[in-house]
Amino acid sequence: MTVDHSIRAETDTLAAALRQFEVERFYTDEAALLDAHRYHEWVQLFSDDTHYFMPIRRTRLRRELDKEFTKPGEIAYFDDTKPILLGRVAKLATGTAWAEDPPSRTRHFVTNVRIEEDRGDELEVSSNFILYRTRLKSEETTWAGSRRDLLRRHEGSFLIARRHILLEQTVLLSQNLSNFF
Amino acid sequence: MAIAAEKLQQLVSLDRGEIDRSIFSDSEIFEQEITSIFGRSWLFLCHESQIAKAGDFFEAPMGRDNVLVVRQKDGGIKGLLNTCAHRGNAVCRAEEGNVKNFMCTYHGWTYDLAGKLIGVPGLQELYHNELDLAAHGLREVAQLDTYRGFVFATADRDAPPLAEFLGRTGRAGLEMIAGQGEMEVVPGIQKFVIPCNWKFAVDNLFDWYHPQITHLSALQAGLVPAPTDPRGRQMSATGVAGPDGAELELMGGVANEDTPDQIVFLDVFGHALAGPTVETMGNLDGAVDHSWRDTPRAREALGPMARRAVGHTNIFPTLWIAPEIRQVSLRVPRGPELTEIWWFTFVPREAGPQERAMTIQAAIHVFGPAGALEQEDGENWTQSTIQTRGTASRMIPQALKMNLGRGKIVDDDGQDPPYIECGINEHGQLWTFASWMAWLSGCGWDELRNRTTPPDVI
Repeated sequence: MTVDHSIRAETDTLAAALRQFEVERFYTDEAALLDAHRYHEWVQLFSDDTHYFMPIRRTRLRRELDKEFTKPGEIAYFDDTKPILLGRVAKLATGTAWAEDPPSRTRHFVTNVRIEEDRGDELEVSSNFILYRTRLKSEETTWAGSRRDLLRRHEGSFLIARRHILLEQTVLLSQNLSNFF
Repeated sequence: MAIAAEKLQQLVSLDRGEIDRSIFSDSEIFEQEITSIFGRSWLFLCHESQIAKAGDFFEAPMGRDNVLVVRQKDGGIKGLLNTCAHRGNAVCRAEEGNVKNFMCTYHGWTYDLAGKLIGVPGLQELYHNELDLAAHGLREVAQLDTYRGFVFATADRDAPPLAEFLGRTGRAGLEMIAGQGEMEVVPGIQKFVIPCNWKFAVDNLFDWYHPQITHLSALQAGLVPAPTDPRGRQMSATGVAGPDGAELELMGGVANEDTPDQIVFLDVFGHALAGPTVETMGNLDGAVDHSWRDTPRAREALGPMARRAVGHTNIFPTLWIAPEIRQVSLRVPRGPELTEIWWFTFVPREAGPQERAMTIQAAIHVFGPAGALEQEDGENWTQSTIQTRGTASRMIPQALKMNLGRGKIVDDDGQDPPYIECGINEHGQLWTFASWMAWLSGCGWDELRNRTTPPDVI
């Protein structure tokens, strides 16, 4: 009996490890596309019904922290459907998107990946990120934050069916958000 | 301390359309701006809808002062300096919210919503009841008033009443938002910093020459609709080519030869408006609704030129009104080379879900740090600011010469502000800087009004 139990526990752990590996590999591959400016390939990682959303964060008293972030239907920094994401990628490809020409240099670090819920075909995943960027001679920005993704299993990998990006800044300490998170 | 009048007079030339570059990074000039402009002018703080209930507050900048705009129990609004009367600590460190009172977290001095000091630890034991509570309330701004729901304040007791300060141009600009319905601010004020001088961020709002180049990628990618000239003409672009030698195909050019397609307002205290007429802009494939311009309210509140003007208003010094997209923006000076941009978005209270969504989506995707347009704007202002530092570079005057000497100003003393009908121009920018120079001189309000009364020709 005890042998059966330990085998089952081991199998569960292995399944969880495999799933963790799949998700983390997906994220590191995604980050590599962004850092290589391969936006056309990157945007294909999103489902057609995706929602790419970065709310505004506000410094609020602890008793009002439920109002810290704006919600969908209010003002945000990103509130994009797939067509809008495709439009952003098309803009970067025009050769006249001056904020990204010369292009900024970015490095995405994705860590603390936690699979919050596995519904079989869809996974709720949270992760932390640091996006380091330099532009031109001396402009330097570091954004830290978390992402809440809905990943949908698709052809042996995933599609991002929802991404909510929560920055750790209220007043944005950068002159634009010309990069993806 | 003050900059000599003689030197000041040389910073801006209306005749030559030239500006001394030093005004964009000189720290002495910046300090004088903080006192002579931001220490005296009426400044936009927020909209009434942001502080609807008693105890609602919103913190807004007035120069380097931080002001708590607070809804009172009697429905009134007060502007209180966010600094404790005891040791100066901020009494509130949240950007917005709702409170019953403000307690300083240094020693616990507590103020009610009106700023009255109502609680002092040890008042009896340590102060022996000798502290004059009435003399130690939160300091109020010198004057606070609202116009059509927009809350303004000034630190100068001698400033003229708000409606008079706004002049015909400021009142018309605010009406262009307020006249679109029972307007309220959508939750979420975008705030971000650009390492540029605030005046670059301000004067750009009059600039209808730059979109076709600066924002070419947004037009090419179809993220913003390109205006179509009803006469089918495009601005000539001979010799305009990228680094690879390829000529750029311009998409958003609003062309002009002889027929005026732009309206400019120039007004007292430096307020101005510039931009296309309704006919020139069109409705951008249904993205812009001009129907409010024909309502009885608009006909009553606005003159015929204002009802035709789709341009952007600047209420001097720093309030940009963009009525076609239902937004206003503050350009907040934080240092000679640091400016904070704040965007407020409005929607009619009575708007249905579709109209509300369209307004919010446009606000997020056009301006703001991730917007298709404003990503590129900051780049221009930052680089323009940096290039004012070079010993040789700063000797080159800035040139605002477009349509110079051809702008005939008409003032029929009616409801419409003093106006110019012409093609794309740089009159709004030049007027802002000419008025800025008058403000910086520190002259009294009557002289300031005189010196910022538009001439016959610019």
